[in-house]
Amino acid sequence: MNRIGRFQLIDVQPLILVLALVVIMAIAGFLTPGFLTFRHFKMVLYCNTMLGILALAQTVVILSGGIDLSIGSTYWITVMVGALLMVKGEFLVPAIVCILVGGLIGLVNGLGISRLKIPHVVMTLAMMIILTGTLYVTTGGGGRGRAAPELIRLSTGRVSGFPIITLVWLLLTVLFYIILRMTAFGWKVRALGSNLSACYCSGIRIWRVQVLVYMMSGTLAALAGLLYLGWARTPYPTFQSGAGVGANIMLQSIAAVIIGGTLFSGGRGGVGRTFLGVLVLAVLFSILSMAGLGVEWQIMLNGIIILAIVGVHSRVGLQ
Amino acid sequence: MANDRLKKIVFDWYIYIVLVAFWIVSCTVSPFFRTMSTFSIIFVSAVPIALVGLGQTFVVLSRGFDLSVGVVASLATAIASVTMHWGIGPSIGLILLVSCAIGVINGLGVSKLKIDSFIMTLGMMFFLNGVTLLIRPSPGGFIPVNFKRALLYQVGEFPLIPVLILLLAAIVGILVLQKRKLGREIYAVGGDPESAKMSGVDVDRTRIKVFVVSAVSSACAGLFVSARIGSGNAEVGAPYLFDSFTAVFMGGTLVTGGVGGYKGTIASALIIASIGHILQFLGITIWYHFIVKGLLLAGVAGLQLFFVRRERT
Repeated sequence: MNRIGRFQLIDVQPLILVLALVVIMAIAGFLTPGFLTFRHFKMVLYCNTMLGILALAQTVVILSGGIDLSIGSTYWITVMVGALLMVKGEFLVPAIVCILVGGLIGLVNGLGISRLKIPHVVMTLAMMIILTGTLYVTTGGGGRGRAAPELIRLSTGRVSGFPIITLVWLLLTVLFYIILRMTAFGWKVRALGSNLSACYCSGIRIWRVQVLVYMMSGTLAALAGLLYLGWARTPYPTFQSGAGVGANIMLQSIAAVIIGGTLFSGGRGGVGRTFLGVLVLAVLFSILSMAGLGVEWQIMLNGIIILAIVGVHSRVGLQ
Repeated sequence: MANDRLKKIVFDWYIYIVLVAFWIVSCTVSPFFRTMSTFSIIFVSAVPIALVGLGQTFVVLSRGFDLSVGVVASLATAIASVTMHWGIGPSIGLILLVSCAIGVINGLGVSKLKIDSFIMTLGMMFFLNGVTLLIRPSPGGFIPVNFKRALLYQVGEFPLIPVLILLLAAIVGILVLQKRKLGREIYAVGGDPESAKMSGVDVDRTRIKVFVVSAVSSACAGLFVSARIGSGNAEVGAPYLFDSFTAVFMGGTLVTGGVGGYKGTIASALIIASIGHILQFLGITIWYHFIVKGLLLAGVAGLQLFFVRRERT
């Protein structure tokens, strides 16, 4: 493909997505009464807030040319830590501890990747299994503890009919859009993803940016975990598909990023696109569950979508 | 001069020294470890790790990652548990065919479409996970007794067939990598794909073959596992993903590709299997194994690059 062709594809991918979304929703609305109501749409957004925040974090990591496979387990570990600490009904201190735990996990990931030069796949995979073990050692596999009342109010509350946590997600998306577009850090993240050696030559302290990126991802995952805890009230970690705790939502976050049109190799894309990606994924899943197809179909669809989009990208020379 | 030769021997065989040292320490620490039946179990549980590690060694040597190994093993157990009542032969044939196809698709994606091997196999992993859950939503199914007996055949307490499988895997792995054209091509591709291409290696074909080897050996691991557990299970293969990486990196194959071999991987498989058992004998619950394995994986990968960097600078 020529140069013009490939610039066109990546730039119009959000447009294609919006079109696809409209078509999918029109078909679903035609087949299922009640699909095309504002209430259902709000519910879809609400149910996928946690995924949205995780995908946001994953976007930043993927933009910097990395990947965070431990994002789902970080999410679950904060759900568990938060529930254990909040048993007595306190809110603020456990919440801060949770966020710190997430940041710490990110710090370890970032240091391993940037200083020890462990490949990001291996490092975050190892982190994922360590967290899976930790989770089961501390809880014994069952749900223990519960959410503080304040957290429940926050997670289930509404502002003039609109869920608070969805607003938090939207605000975070705007915030990260600004950070990635308008700050030096944002440009460094992109630069890291598009050309590592050029970054090195231009004097960017690569390891600092990498550590920050992974810490950001850990912190956001912890935040999402907290919000989920308030939503579910008690933790219920399950040994999910694939490899460990949280593998499922980790894959969904990657799928959302790639559907949105962020290049998997890093450097191009953004959080606005990921927002669209989450919407498409959410609507597709909602259709699947309405059709009575179980979680295994969702997992399969995730895999197919990732392969298809990465394949198309590489076909037109974007990788 | 003699000193240098000794150094080389130690450097080449360090993993075996670690293995023997580990066994000696374990035998002194735990009286339960000092029995033939323990070693018999260790050999049996090392077989799937060694088989999965065989494929992973090939892939890592050619500068790639294969995240789909564990799920291919699960898929093999699922297909076996559903189709074994047709007869053992057709079922095994079907499993090998399916795994070949998976390997070819992985290989085509990585070589022709130039998709990063990691994301290609990640997508494949979840696709196959969904398929496996559709075939076998809950553990169960039928595995013929003959099949189980044959694969786990023991003479007294000595697990004859599992040890033979280990030996066979070792011979195939080492011979192919050291003596066959494919092996040399894998090292060339892993060392530097560009110069391999310049010197006439068909890089794409090599990559496809590597992924086929990986998928087929993982399917064999899955068959062995299904004989062991006597059923099909969609989640049983997942832990072998971590184990395969740990085995490959601990065995001295470099994360960056091109350096290493199967000799280390198979010893590491024995070490990993032994670690699981000594932890059990020391009364440590199963969930700590995950933590230990994760730390081992990160530690091995980190240490390896640390040493290599020191050697080169």
